[in-house]
Amino acid sequence: MSEGSSDDTNTQDAWVSFKDRPEWSDVKPIPQDDGPHPVVQIAYTDQFKEVFDYFRAMVAADEKSERSLKLTREAAELNPANYSVWNYRRNILSELNKDLRAELKYISQVIEDNPKNYQVWHHRRVIVEWLEDPKEELHFTEKILQDDAKNYHAWQHRQWCIQQFSLWDKELAYVEKLLKEDFRNNSAWNQRHFIINNTTGFTSEVVEKELKFTQDYIRKAPNNESAWNYMKGVLSDRKLSEFPSVMDFCLELYRKEIRSPFLMACMIDSYEEMLEQGKPKKEENLQRATQLCNELAEEYDTLRREYWQYMSRSLASKYGTDVSGDS
Amino acid sequence: MALRSQERSEQYGLSKQKAALSTHSKHRDELFHKKHAVFFKRVLQVLPSQQLDTHRVSLAYFAISGLDLLDSLNDIESDRERIIEWIYSLQVQPNESGSNLNQCGFRGCPMLGHAYDTEQAKFQSIPYDSSNIAMTYTALATLLILGDDLSRVHKKAVLQGVKSLQQPNGSFVSVLEGSEYDMRFVYCASCICYMLNDWSGMDVDKAVSYIVQSLSYEGAFGQRPYNEAHGGSTFCAVGSLILMDRLHVALSESQLSALRRWLLHRQDAGFTGRPNKTADTCYSFWVGAALEMLGVLDLTHVTFNRSFVLSAQEPIVGGFSKYPDHPPDPLHSYLGLAGLSLIGEPNINPIYPALNISQRAYDHLMNLHRQWEDERSH
Repeated sequence: MSEGSSDDTNTQDAWVSFKDRPEWSDVKPIPQDDGPHPVVQIAYTDQFKEVFDYFRAMVAADEKSERSLKLTREAAELNPANYSVWNYRRNILSELNKDLRAELKYISQVIEDNPKNYQVWHHRRVIVEWLEDPKEELHFTEKILQDDAKNYHAWQHRQWCIQQFSLWDKELAYVEKLLKEDFRNNSAWNQRHFIINNTTGFTSEVVEKELKFTQDYIRKAPNNESAWNYMKGVLSDRKLSEFPSVMDFCLELYRKEIRSPFLMACMIDSYEEMLEQGKPKKEENLQRATQLCNELAEEYDTLRREYWQYMSRSLASKYGTDVSGDS
Repeated sequence: MALRSQERSEQYGLSKQKAALSTHSKHRDELFHKKHAVFFKRVLQVLPSQQLDTHRVSLAYFAISGLDLLDSLNDIESDRERIIEWIYSLQVQPNESGSNLNQCGFRGCPMLGHAYDTEQAKFQSIPYDSSNIAMTYTALATLLILGDDLSRVHKKAVLQGVKSLQQPNGSFVSVLEGSEYDMRFVYCASCICYMLNDWSGMDVDKAVSYIVQSLSYEGAFGQRPYNEAHGGSTFCAVGSLILMDRLHVALSESQLSALRRWLLHRQDAGFTGRPNKTADTCYSFWVGAALEMLGVLDLTHVTFNRSFVLSAQEPIVGGFSKYPDHPPDPLHSYLGLAGLSLIGEPNINPIYPALNISQRAYDHLMNLHRQWEDERSH
C-alpha cells in the first residue's frame, strides 16, 4: 500500500465482500436496472457488480465520507474510464478537504497503469489546478514519455502546464534531448514549434536559426517528414523567396542525387510561389515544377502517383500559357 | 551507414509494413463478410471488458452501423424494437420544472442507477446522472440506422444539453459535471445539431474559431490549439466544418491544399494518424473520410489501402484489429469496414462520411428533415 494516501483500501489483497465489512452494514446496495433486453451487456465479475451496487447507493445519497471516498477508489480501479466515479471522487475530496498531494501521488500510479486513458489525465489536471502548483508535472510527463515518446495525453497535459504556469524556460532543451534520441519524433517537433511560437515568436532571426537547425537534421535523414513539415511551419506565412537559403539547401541536396519526396515537394512549392508572384522565367519554373511532379509520380513517390499527376495538371492549367489550346 | 539504407528503402516506398503486406494478403485478400456480421452480433450480446461499461451505446453503434454497412441489419430484425427501447431508456428526460435541461441527451449506460422504465425514471433525480455528448451522438445515429423517426427524442432538451457543454473557447466537454475538452466533442456536437436540424445547440462562430485555432503548422488539425496534428482530430474538424457548411469560409484555398497534402501523406500502405507513426486500420476511415470530404480520396492508392485493411481481419472470429495479427475490437472492426466502404468495396453499403453512417441511413434522415419542415410549415 502506498504511503500518504489517506484512503488506502485492501484491493491489493484478496477482495472482501461488502457483506463482510461491518462499516457498510447500514447501506442498502442498489442494483443496475438494465431492462428486460440489455444490449452490449458487460460480463461483470461479482466484485464489479457489488462495488457498483454500493457505489449507486452512495451516489443516490450523495454521501461524501471517508467510506465513499474509499469506494470511489475501488470503483476506479475496476473501471478507470468511468468519468462519473472521478467526478464524484473529486467532490468528496473537496468536501472533506483531503490532502491533494496524496491524491496526486495516487493518480500518478493510476496514470502509469493507464497512460492512454482520458479520464485519469483529466483528474490529474483538476488536482494540479486545485493545488496551483505544477512542480511535479514536467518530471511526471517525462516519465510517461520515456515509455511512449508520442503519448498524446502526456503532451497535452505538458502543454497545458507549461502555458498555465509559464514553464517555458527549459522546454527547448528537453525537446532537443528528445530529438537527439529520435529525430523522427513528430511530437517533439510540434513541441518545439509550440515553445518558440509562445516565447520569442518566429522573428526573422529565429527563422534563420530554426532553418539551420532543421536543415542539419534533414541532412542526416532527408526522408524525415517531421523535419520537413517543421521547416515549412517555421516559414508559415512568410514567402520562401524571403529566405533564398531554403532553395539553395534544396538544390544542394538534389544535386547530391537525393530524391526524397519531401525535398522535391518543397522545391515544387518554391517554384509555385515564384509563379504565383509572377517572377521572371515563368515557363522555366513551370517546367521545373511539373517535371518534379512527374518524377515523383513515376519513380520516387509512386504510392502518391495520382496526387503528383493531379499537382502537375493543376500547375499547368493555372500557370501554363494557353498556346496548346486553340492553335 | 545504417540510416542511409533505411532512408533509401523508405524513399522507394518499401516500408516494412508494405513488405509484410505481401505475405498477409495471400490468404486475406477477400472480405470475411459473414464472419464480421457474426462478430458484430456477438458485440451486441456480451463483451468481456468492464472498462467499456460507461460507453455501451457507442459499442452498440459500432456493431449496428457495421451490420448496416454489411447489409445485414435483417439479422437483428427481431431485436430491432428492443434495441430501440433500450436506447430510449438511456435518454435523460426533461423534468416538469425544466430545471435539468442542461443535463439532457443520452447516457451511455444505466450505471448511475436510473430506472429502465421511462415513466419511473422521469421522477428520479440522481447526482451526476447527465448525458454524455458522444453517447448522444451515437444514440441518435443508431436510432436513425434502425429506422426510428426520432419522435421520442426530446429535441429541444437535447439541444439545450449540448449547448451547456460548450466552453468559452468554443470547444465542448463531454459531460456537464466536467471533462477534458477537445475536437472530438466539437464533432459530436456538430453531428447532433445536424441530425436534429437545429443549430441552436451551439455558438457556431465560436466553434469554428476553435477549429481554426487548432490548425497546426503542419497543415492539419490537433485536438486543441498547439496540439500535434492528428488524423482523428482532423476528421473531427473537417466533418464539423462540412456539417456546419463552413469549410470554404473557415479555410483558405492554400490551407485546403496543405491539408489535402498532409492527409495524402498519411498513406504508407494503410494510413497513419501522424507522421512517422505506423499505419492503423482506423485511419483508413478517419483520414480516408477527411479526404473524401475534401474531394480527393481518388488520389490515394486504393489497392494498398484495401490490402492493408483486409490484412487486419481476424480470420476465425471475425472483426478487424488495429494492426495485422492483433486481437480484433469493435472500434477497429467498424472503422475498418467504414474505410473499405469509402473506397467502394463490393458488397459493402456506401457511407456518408461526415456523420459516419450509411448513405441509406443518411437518406432516411433527409426524409425526416423534410417531414419536420412540412410539420413546421403547417
